[in-house]
Amino acid sequence: MKRRELIRAGLLMSFAAALRPTQEMAQSAKTPSELTPAQSGVDASKYLAAPGWRPLFLDEHQNETLIVLSDLIIPATDTPGAKEALVNRYIDLVLAAETPETQGAFLNALGYLDGESMRRFEVAFRRASRGQQDELLVALAYPRDAGGRTVEPDASSGTGHAHFETLKEHIVTAYYSSQIGERELGSDGGFAHGDYEGCDHTEGNHN
Amino acid sequence: MTMNFTALGAAQQTYDAVVVGSGATGGWAAKQLAEAGLKVALLEAGRGVSPKEFTEHMPAYKLKYRDHSPEVARTRPIQKQCYACMEYNYEWFVNDLENPYSTPPGKPFSWQRLRVLGGRSLVWGRQSYRLSENDLKATSRDGYGDDWPISYADLAPYYDIVEGYVGISGAAEGNVMLPDGQFLPPMKMSCGEVQLRESVKAKFGRTVTIGRAAVLTQNHNGRGACHYCGPCERGCSTFSYFSSPFTTVKDALSSGNCTLFTNAVVSHVNMDSEANKARGVTYVDRMTRQVKEIRGKAVILCAQALESTRILLNSSTRDYPSGLANSSGALGRYLMDHVVGGGASGRLPDLKTLPDANEPQRPNGIYIPRFRNTPSSTKETRFIRGYGFQGGAGAEFNFSAEGYGTSFKKSVKEGVYEISLGAFGESLPRWDNYCEIDRNLNDAWGIPALRICMTHGDNEAALMADAGTTAAEMLEAAGAKDIRVQTDVAVPGMAIHELGTARMGSDPKNSVLNAFNQTHDVRNIFVMDGASFVSSGCQNPTLTMMAVTVRACSHLIDRFRRSEI
Repeated sequence: MKRRELIRAGLLMSFAAALRPTQEMAQSAKTPSELTPAQSGVDASKYLAAPGWRPLFLDEHQNETLIVLSDLIIPATDTPGAKEALVNRYIDLVLAAETPETQGAFLNALGYLDGESMRRFEVAFRRASRGQQDELLVALAYPRDAGGRTVEPDASSGTGHAHFETLKEHIVTAYYSSQIGERELGSDGGFAHGDYEGCDHTEGNHN
Repeated sequence: MTMNFTALGAAQQTYDAVVVGSGATGGWAAKQLAEAGLKVALLEAGRGVSPKEFTEHMPAYKLKYRDHSPEVARTRPIQKQCYACMEYNYEWFVNDLENPYSTPPGKPFSWQRLRVLGGRSLVWGRQSYRLSENDLKATSRDGYGDDWPISYADLAPYYDIVEGYVGISGAAEGNVMLPDGQFLPPMKMSCGEVQLRESVKAKFGRTVTIGRAAVLTQNHNGRGACHYCGPCERGCSTFSYFSSPFTTVKDALSSGNCTLFTNAVVSHVNMDSEANKARGVTYVDRMTRQVKEIRGKAVILCAQALESTRILLNSSTRDYPSGLANSSGALGRYLMDHVVGGGASGRLPDLKTLPDANEPQRPNGIYIPRFRNTPSSTKETRFIRGYGFQGGAGAEFNFSAEGYGTSFKKSVKEGVYEISLGAFGESLPRWDNYCEIDRNLNDAWGIPALRICMTHGDNEAALMADAGTTAAEMLEAAGAKDIRVQTDVAVPGMAIHELGTARMGSDPKNSVLNAFNQTHDVRNIFVMDGASFVSSGCQNPTLTMMAVTVRACSHLIDRFRRSEI
């Protein structure tokens, strides 16, 4: 039997049983309100998918813009994209509790995107054609100087690229921390995958 | 072996020993003394802890905020500076709103602490290294500060005891700066780490070894081997990393000689001034706010360096107006915390390993023992003492890949092979790094709070500057590209290795404790945690703190046997 199976088969229980005296002592002194939701076993994974969801922080237009943008940055391929992962809902939840600085930076970046779309195409980003959206995103995502050379990204510069990176960072964090994102990275959802084997190559032959 | 020292009063029991704090050192003190037959009261300021609240196997998507909880930011603005304080486990950390301390303008100090059975042993980094004779007697070599009143030979047997019980996985290297110990089999290194080890040995003659970690690589003392799930700081269902509630504290309670008091926030030590002896301690019940007293023939402070000193400073009497057992004036002085912030990171593009979400997660890194100012190296002119590196190398998902869309999604999974080294430098003991009582600030239980005054000095800054250079040259030797060098000096406290403030010494005029952690001034008060350190070395201190505690307890048991206490 593999270690993982051993653990699932009750190895955990036998170690827990060995510790009973301490456990009872400790629990008698415990105050349930002093557990984190996670320590109390709360599973909040369905929270964002609740029917009747409404944004807490973003307005309707900002929310719709974020859905469109997130699914362009992480589209559905043979795996689901950002829209299906409800990336907009997670970002809205976190922003609602964030500092004014972080909230402002996000809204500024989203506003910049819409402003550029209006300036270039005379239409809000979410209503622009796919070709227009790509034209704008390519310009923001891959900054190049006049000679076509890559410009060193500077997230603090307040440039279009910096705004893009602000939005992208929120979207990437939201997507890869979701269950869909975990699966996208290939996780089987397990927690014990055997011993860490490390390197077994001979010297100088690590490839 | 059981001895009967018990002397039970009818109304108020007088314990042989009152141990304050249930973490790495308090757990050991309670175990050693209770197993020797002494009646022990073990006081913990926080609540108990149960394996039922471990969350190490809960994926982030089950957290409402996926580790961006506003509750953590609101109640733990300081604690969240600690990498281990998360939406999963923040209730183990102190609530900063209830546990204030002050710092002078422009001198921040990050005080990261837990109040729960086991204290920081629940979330510690588990790295376990011995100090060497070069560390304990550094003053004899370079003239700075003071030597410890004990030598490596004094400590070595107690390192053996602690390692044998705790279970330290690691590899023997025969390095004069980092004595070998009683090791369980070492964890393996990644390809990048082996490449670094080979090239650094060849080019610089320096040692790269696997981290020596208090994580079991085989079943040991009734605890299970590591199952490589990763996040130890959220608890461990197989008890594979060392934490006191499930080891030393459990043993102490099983002996039948130890009584555990949780939610006991100790405010001060009570004195019998006529006899110049401590009578016990006073604590505030954390839940009811009731004030209670516990009597003991010996008082042993293991509350964490700054907390133990705070208790003594809050225990002043007519005879000890500036803090109990402070005739030297050294109480609160010589605060240290390893300097961090220097190092380098880069990429190993030659290694093609792809990141794997199902790869076993090794809860450990690599370690490079100190190689500056050693007996065999040339003497540095820019700084005294030295630093060690912790680090690691492995394939990681490339979340910062350029661009967007399908190509971005693909790049994330192709990953990058990252390698990094971060230094821990020796923090010199200085009189002007100190803590004192802030007369205008109380905690939620009405106990006067600390004002902590600490800065890192020129020597610490020079260590981090050098660490940036040497880390980069070693990564380069290993074939790393895109090397980013860091030479910052982090805010004091960020290493979470607070040491000093009640140091040992042979001279009662400039130290608080003798070589057995007993205060020079009051013979039945002991401080057995990091407060006792005379110098910091650059090694992670918990193993040494535990060895010092076991040594001091052995001495205390002898004194009880001879009825000297």
